[in-house]
Amino acid sequence: MSSSRPTAQAPRESKRTSPRMRIARDTPRPSRARTPSGPAPSARRRPGRARRVASFWPQYLAISPFYLVFLVFLLIPIVFSLYLAFTSWDGLGAIKFVGLQQFRFLVKDSTFWLALRNTLIIWVLSTVPMLFVSLVLASLINATRRFTAFYRIAFFIPSVTSIVAIALFFSAIFSENYGLVNVMLHAMHLPTVDWLSDAWTIKLVIAILMSWQWTGYNAIIYLAGMQSIPPELYEAAKVDGAGPIRTFFSITIPMLRPIILFTVIVSTVTGLQSFTEPQVLFGSSASVNPNSGGPGQAGLTLILYFYHQAFDNNNFGYGAAIAWAAFLVIVLFTAINWRLVARKDR
Amino acid sequence: MELTRRQAIRTGLLGAAGLAAGGTLTACGGGSSSGGSAAAMTLWYWSGGLSPSVVTDATKKFASQTKLTSSVIGGDFKQKLLTTMTSRRYVPDITGIKGEDMPAMLPDADRFVDLNTLGAAKLKSQYLSWKWAQGMTTDGKLIGFPIDIGPTAMFYRSDLFAQAGLPTDPTTVAAQMKTWDEYFAAGVELHKAIPKTYLVDNAGDIFTAVVGQSGSRFIDSSGKFVGDQDHIRTAWDTAVKTVTLGIDAKINDNSWNGNIANGTVGSVIGAAWHALDIEQAAPALSGKWRVAATPDGPSDNGGSFLAIPTTCPDPALAFQIITWILNPTNQARGFTDEALFPSTPASYTMSALTSGDKYFGGQKTIEVFGPAAQNIPNQYVAPADSAVSAPYYNQLINVENGTSSDSAWSAAVSQAKQIFAQQGGS
Repeated sequence: MSSSRPTAQAPRESKRTSPRMRIARDTPRPSRARTPSGPAPSARRRPGRARRVASFWPQYLAISPFYLVFLVFLLIPIVFSLYLAFTSWDGLGAIKFVGLQQFRFLVKDSTFWLALRNTLIIWVLSTVPMLFVSLVLASLINATRRFTAFYRIAFFIPSVTSIVAIALFFSAIFSENYGLVNVMLHAMHLPTVDWLSDAWTIKLVIAILMSWQWTGYNAIIYLAGMQSIPPELYEAAKVDGAGPIRTFFSITIPMLRPIILFTVIVSTVTGLQSFTEPQVLFGSSASVNPNSGGPGQAGLTLILYFYHQAFDNNNFGYGAAIAWAAFLVIVLFTAINWRLVARKDR
Repeated sequence: MELTRRQAIRTGLLGAAGLAAGGTLTACGGGSSSGGSAAAMTLWYWSGGLSPSVVTDATKKFASQTKLTSSVIGGDFKQKLLTTMTSRRYVPDITGIKGEDMPAMLPDADRFVDLNTLGAAKLKSQYLSWKWAQGMTTDGKLIGFPIDIGPTAMFYRSDLFAQAGLPTDPTTVAAQMKTWDEYFAAGVELHKAIPKTYLVDNAGDIFTAVVGQSGSRFIDSSGKFVGDQDHIRTAWDTAVKTVTLGIDAKINDNSWNGNIANGTVGSVIGAAWHALDIEQAAPALSGKWRVAATPDGPSDNGGSFLAIPTTCPDPALAFQIITWILNPTNQARGFTDEALFPSTPASYTMSALTSGDKYFGGQKTIEVFGPAAQNIPNQYVAPADSAVSAPYYNQLINVENGTSSDSAWSAAVSQAKQIFAQQGGS
């Protein structure tokens, strides 16, 4: 999905809108592009522009691998999936155009709405605490003078660890009979919990898993942002008699707003696409009923439901419709979050 | 997959490059397949799908006619087959199709060679008729040639049965637990005598077995939804009984192996291939498990086929290879090598099957599976069958977690109807 792209540009756009706009206006007409004869007939100008474009061929060649790979593995599949969403296709036979039928069905499909609800709950349960803890962690590391490299690496490692490995590890930790968590609860004479059976604890486990993996990543991003805040601001705050808490809320948070915007957008885009976590935790190996999302389908997320329809049921048209619905949901929540966080800049 | 998480953003380019490289490699590996000449042929199967030694022998036997290259395809076999067949490049000349994927392939029968045109009818009598029918379209085209089958039986812990004062000898067990009710009654005693042991691993397995015992499934051969009718309701009620009687271990996660090994599960209703699963889960329990007939009769669970895509340059030769690999003698070898239960009754009297199984205390399990295989009812399996059946399994898990049977049943039926309608049913 194209949803992976806005991430890298997000903070910059909010911060420096005007310089970017100016550059954008300038680039199509660099100085040597202007012909001395003023508005020349377009027939004469075109070959010249083409030649100029051609003269940059080494540069275009240098950036072409990305765009070729992007074209083949992202853009074409995206466009094709949009087409598929209006068809009925089992992956092998003829593709039958059915118009809006898949979407009409989607609106009535109770499992789709369940998956949407699950996705949003898991996303809120994971993102809100995760970003808060990340901020606190980042300011703690920022205030630390020793072993900073160690902390940074330690916090970053979870985000580069295989998510499948993490999910298997979590399923062992939260396993009902032999899981570490229940063994500890039992040792403390507390009642054990059927973590992977109850609708809420299933979502909680997935959210904890996601938080564990991405808290460090976000903390490192925040840390980078904090280190670009001019120290004079902190000195001034100290002179004015502000304590650490007041400084955190009055200096650090406002100065970090573009960075926070970036992490919120990335967390929205990726958090609403949770798939591997429930897939590994509840993807039964049985041939009957795979990828159903666990007991009560409480771990069925939008993307898992899309996967189930497309790749278990060979229902590619409907799968594509679910994927595009998920895309619209992500765009909607990204926009809402953008407004919420960026509001004070405008 | 473009739909992954954050890693995709950062390693997307790398990953895509890796994919590209992988694609090139695969292309090189299978490059000789659809060249249009019978000089070379490719055979696709999954690990455990055929006996590798039989495949090697086939390569040697047919070496003078063609260069047969076999590939063991890992991962999601069905998806890889669909993808290559859709792209119409590097399509295997002979391919395995899993039993659960077969119904969904049958509507696209025109992409495969009708084996009847190659003289398959001559061999029909050697194979189990219900299995033969599963590889056939409603208008009589034979697409899949039978590999193995999955006749069910009751696997039980004879040591635990003895502890609970139940019979232990397979014949007596089968005689005293002829019906589901008798079997469940024994389960109640078992659980009473050994509180940590339950009779069944989960309600879904019982549901699968009982649905398989009836004459029809969720959609009948005229394409009508029948998932709300008596035969399914009976299967549902039978499965729910294990919950209400408290003899269901409710294992629906990946702790099955552990629960087999530690004695939480006293018996399993499963196909012949479950023997290997149990053995691998609990090697220490060797000699303690036995096999008896399924209460109320056998059903089929699993099994697979070989098929010839239409792109095959020499279907006649491919058919020769298939029928050699799957003749009764080689199917017996498949049983020895990969626990593939033969679809050819003639194999059942061969020594590979008639010798005792050490894990089952030397029991000759063929005495249970052989008759079971020949008594499995013929069922029509609609292309949407597995999709439509999913809600029943989801709702049975809900019943195991406390939902009332009636409300779970109505939810299952209404969801199944939704899926049926979505898949184009009326």
